[in-house]
Amino acid sequence: MKKTYILAIESSCDETSVSIICDGKEEIATVVLSQMDTHANFGGVVPEVASRMHIENITMVLEECLEKANMKMEDVDAIAITYGPGLIGSLLIGLQAAKTLAYLYGKPLIPVHHIAGHIYANNLVKPMEFPLISLVVSGGHTELIYMKDHYSFEKLGSTLDDAVGEAYDKVARVLGLHYPGGPLVDKLAHEGKDTYSLPLPLDDDSYNFSFSGIKSAVINLSHNEHQRGNEIITENLACSFQNRVVEILTKKTMRALREKNVKHLIIAGGVAANKGLREKFTELCEKEDIELTVPAMKYCTDNAAMIGAAGYYAYKIGRRADLSLNSKATDRLQ
Amino acid sequence: MILFLDTASSYRIVSVFDGTKEIITKLEKNDIDLSSKMLPLIESTLNEASIKPSQIDKIMVVTGPGSFTGIRIGVTIAKTWAWTLKKKIIPISELELLSTTPFDGDYIVPYIDARRDYGYAGVYDQEGNLVIEDSHIKRETLLEKLPKNKKIVFVTDDQIEVPYPIVEPSIKISKIIAKHIDDEGVNPHECNPNYLKKTEAEENLEKGNLHDPLRD
Repeated sequence: MKKTYILAIESSCDETSVSIICDGKEEIATVVLSQMDTHANFGGVVPEVASRMHIENITMVLEECLEKANMKMEDVDAIAITYGPGLIGSLLIGLQAAKTLAYLYGKPLIPVHHIAGHIYANNLVKPMEFPLISLVVSGGHTELIYMKDHYSFEKLGSTLDDAVGEAYDKVARVLGLHYPGGPLVDKLAHEGKDTYSLPLPLDDDSYNFSFSGIKSAVINLSHNEHQRGNEIITENLACSFQNRVVEILTKKTMRALREKNVKHLIIAGGVAANKGLREKFTELCEKEDIELTVPAMKYCTDNAAMIGAAGYYAYKIGRRADLSLNSKATDRLQ
Repeated sequence: MILFLDTASSYRIVSVFDGTKEIITKLEKNDIDLSSKMLPLIESTLNEASIKPSQIDKIMVVTGPGSFTGIRIGVTIAKTWAWTLKKKIIPISELELLSTTPFDGDYIVPYIDARRDYGYAGVYDQEGNLVIEDSHIKRETLLEKLPKNKKIVFVTDDQIEVPYPIVEPSIKISKIIAKHIDDEGVNPHECNPNYLKKTEAEENLEKGNLHDPLRD
């Protein structure tokens, strides 16, 4: 059978990435240019700086990817693009590049939702089995998705305020850790004890999440202790924060698996790299006989390979966009 | 053939020239949908003139100053196009383009308002030669810098108060083409927006104020 090659472009936040994926599962080549070091100087992603860096790098990343794959634009079957959600100024760069290529080469243009990409990162590890539930956790997203088949997304719940990764980075800042501090909080949490009293965030019957409250609780606790002249035990506060976050994420996800009678769970997004979260899910899934898939580290953070994997299935079901496709800062996954 | 693109101002412009001869020019008032409308405008313009993308030898693109997002849309299209079809890009200043507006006097000052008493401005003569380089400048400072013994005219779309006559833009793309047609052009990887201004975050960082994401 003829193979389908998708050239995918991702530029929704602070990574400029291009990838070529064969049949939605085989990675031919991927280039990811991260701007993380630059944004670290500002203590967080600055949208205007991100847009400026995307445009400086986009053609070089495209060229490097094609060279790495030893392919020409004529060899690809379609172009997949992250149209949203994300930072609008960043999304626009990838979008204009993708549309220009689609126009010049007469290739189909496939719009891909960023969250679909995160979920399909798992297809690069092993073929996804349905029905499944996916927990997408990153610096910009916290969503619980039910899928009964390829490209069928039912959102069960999502964060009502901060994304979980965002809360991690902000807590890291309060603890005096360098941006992006999320991974450092995870590391410290493993060295500490759960001694601080923090609320379990949005512990209700819904599948929604909220991390703004616990973030504020950490900030207030830290300020109050400082005013009283008490020293904060950083590892312990990191541990207490992480335990609460992991507890609510696992609690709601496991309940969704039971209620939907689903035996496959996939974790996606940058926070999927969190050791505390992986450990807890591994333990619970073993106990309840759920098959757990977590993508390799390189597919957890933003990359175009996952967009190429999702793009292939979107292509198969006939999803197409014309040259009027626009970027969207927010959009429903469908 | 030369493809000319401008997305920096309140109009989006696609134009094709064969040498210095204008083949077609399409101009639409910009709205919030520049991102969705620019490529369709390029496609329809070329189709109408029965020109294939492969017939384009060079791309001229306005790289700024102007709307940051607007500039990036045109420059990304130009970069991607020129990179993949192995062409060169000739970057053009939006201020120079504005300076092609016919005027009665010695010098013309194209001006784009940048808020807080600042603007993007340059000074050009009747032949389109640069007299004072384009910059992001406080209006007061600009007025002090202008030569006193010359007849000066401002060209702008914006509502500003200056002690000089103001004319509305009436750009002549053909003048820009004639002037720059033999420019060597730049490698598309190196063609980037000419914002004339750093980001606020960078300015603050230089002043020693760290951007505080906790206040977002």
